[in-house]
Amino acid sequence: MLTVTDLKASYGKIEALHGISFHVRRGEIVTLIGANGAGKSTTLKALMRLKLPECPTVTGGDILFDGESIMNMEAHHVVGKLRMTLVPEGRQIFGNLTVVENLTLAAWTNTGDTRRNLDHVFGIFPRLAERMRQRSDTLSGGEQQMLAVGRALMSKCSVLLLDEPSMGLAPLLMYEMFRTLKKLNDEGMTIIVVEQNARIALQLADRGYVLDTGEIVAEDAGKALLQRPEIKAAYLGG
Amino acid sequence: MQRYTINIIFLAAAVSLVAAAAAGLFDNYILTVLMFMGINIIFASSLNLVNGHMGEFSCGHAGFMCVGAYVGSLLSVVFFTSNKFFGDPLFPPEAAPFLFPLVLILASLAAALFGLIVALPSFHTRDDYLAIITIAANYIIISIVENIDAIGGPRGFSGMKRTMNVMGDVIHLPWMLIWVLIGCFVCITVLYRLVTSTYGKGIPAVCQNEVAAEIMGVNTNKVKIMAFMVSSGLAGMAGVLYAHVYGYVNAQAFNILKSTEGLVMVYLGGMGSISGVILAAVAFTLLVEALRFVIPAANDLLHIWGILPASSELSQIWKWVIIPLILILLMQLRPEGLLGNKELTHVFPRLRRWVSFK
Repeated sequence: MLTVTDLKASYGKIEALHGISFHVRRGEIVTLIGANGAGKSTTLKALMRLKLPECPTVTGGDILFDGESIMNMEAHHVVGKLRMTLVPEGRQIFGNLTVVENLTLAAWTNTGDTRRNLDHVFGIFPRLAERMRQRSDTLSGGEQQMLAVGRALMSKCSVLLLDEPSMGLAPLLMYEMFRTLKKLNDEGMTIIVVEQNARIALQLADRGYVLDTGEIVAEDAGKALLQRPEIKAAYLGG
Repeated sequence: MQRYTINIIFLAAAVSLVAAAAAGLFDNYILTVLMFMGINIIFASSLNLVNGHMGEFSCGHAGFMCVGAYVGSLLSVVFFTSNKFFGDPLFPPEAAPFLFPLVLILASLAAALFGLIVALPSFHTRDDYLAIITIAANYIIISIVENIDAIGGPRGFSGMKRTMNVMGDVIHLPWMLIWVLIGCFVCITVLYRLVTSTYGKGIPAVCQNEVAAEIMGVNTNKVKIMAFMVSSGLAGMAGVLYAHVYGYVNAQAFNILKSTEGLVMVYLGGMGSISGVILAAVAFTLLVEALRFVIPAANDLLHIWGILPASSELSQIWKWVIIPLILILLMQLRPEGLLGNKELTHVFPRLRRWVSFK
């Protein structure tokens, strides 16, 4: 469904991705793992077609979504038309808006019934319903992460990109978050997740790619990657 | 019922003000101060949309007021008065009170178009760099106006008083006060409806985090264009009113000092707080006017006490020392302004029983 060929991206003069290729099938969970600076977040931003000043510029390659190139699209089209969205690193919720205002912003993409989408999100994260009218910068870290995922779900996406969903979460909350992702996947959502915590990501994922300094160095089923000695040594602590 | 309280209060206040003015209860000075209060409310709250809600730093807002003032003055002179330059009035004088809104709208549109000077660079620039662009925009506008001889160039442009006289001849009412009140109402309503709508929530979203806004499907460029154009359009409306209250415009009245006045009002009120900025605009206007009396009084006192030698004098220029000083103190003691980014109903929850801000 999503095919990336020879994608190159750079920040100014520094090239962060030296031509990576991978693909994602509908209904899969795919994970990208790698060390800091390997280009994981850059890949997600490039996939989302984000073009703001702090985002990478794509300098080469192609991204096909259902066979069509999305290289000319803008991020808000990717969200609105392709139903692909991102849960950014560090949550990046709108702190000065309330929980419900954060969620209803997704009505920008005109996904029809905001009320029903809200109920759907509150069904997945009942905690958010309790905190509905609260300013979102007063939420705890875990709740903020729920809000970030919930906000993405509001745009009725079928492809969900997550950048470090486990960051800053206590282990228990982290497992809960990944269980929720699995549940969403069982309901048909395609998920691409970038993680530092390679072990939990590979356990969850159907397939995994290992990124190293802007290049893909390994690709396999998630469970298989877990068994590889070189991956164990480099990313799983031996 | 609560939904309409503000409208009803405003209407009652407006009607009683106009009635009092028509009955001649106010002298000219008080009337002028009242009108400037209204103009400052429009000017400051339109700036608040960009600086407060959207979190950009525009410091050339007076430039858009300048566009509005000149376009509005020109239209009003062409429409309603006979002039050796433009000939006979375009419309019969009886129509003046009804067609004046047209002047307001057209001049606001013109100012909104000039807002694009800032809106387009804002796609790739933000913060300090954008602030510099806004200053440049302010100077570009002033220089353009000063170099068009047909509208008076550096000498300024006048003739709008006659429009006011024409209106007064049709129906004897304090027309300018009415237009200022209507302008305030339109401005606050537009801003309030905008920032509370789902569409307008894109503005604080852009302010907080553009990446997050984009991935929510918010077209950040569209939001920026919209916010800058609405803001500069409303400033243009303030400009038309300003020009007509004075009866004379000069490009230098809209230089960086005027922009700074707007900034002072926004920071005094609290960025992103509509009611705070309204309060601040009222307070600021009163303060500036109060200094007109306080400074000579202080001058006399200092002479009586012998602190100031008889040869020197405390002039009105000291206003421009005292006002910035207030700003410095404000930033030190209460950097979030009078109300922070809260509305009056958040600070005084009891108000909510009477007033619904939705």
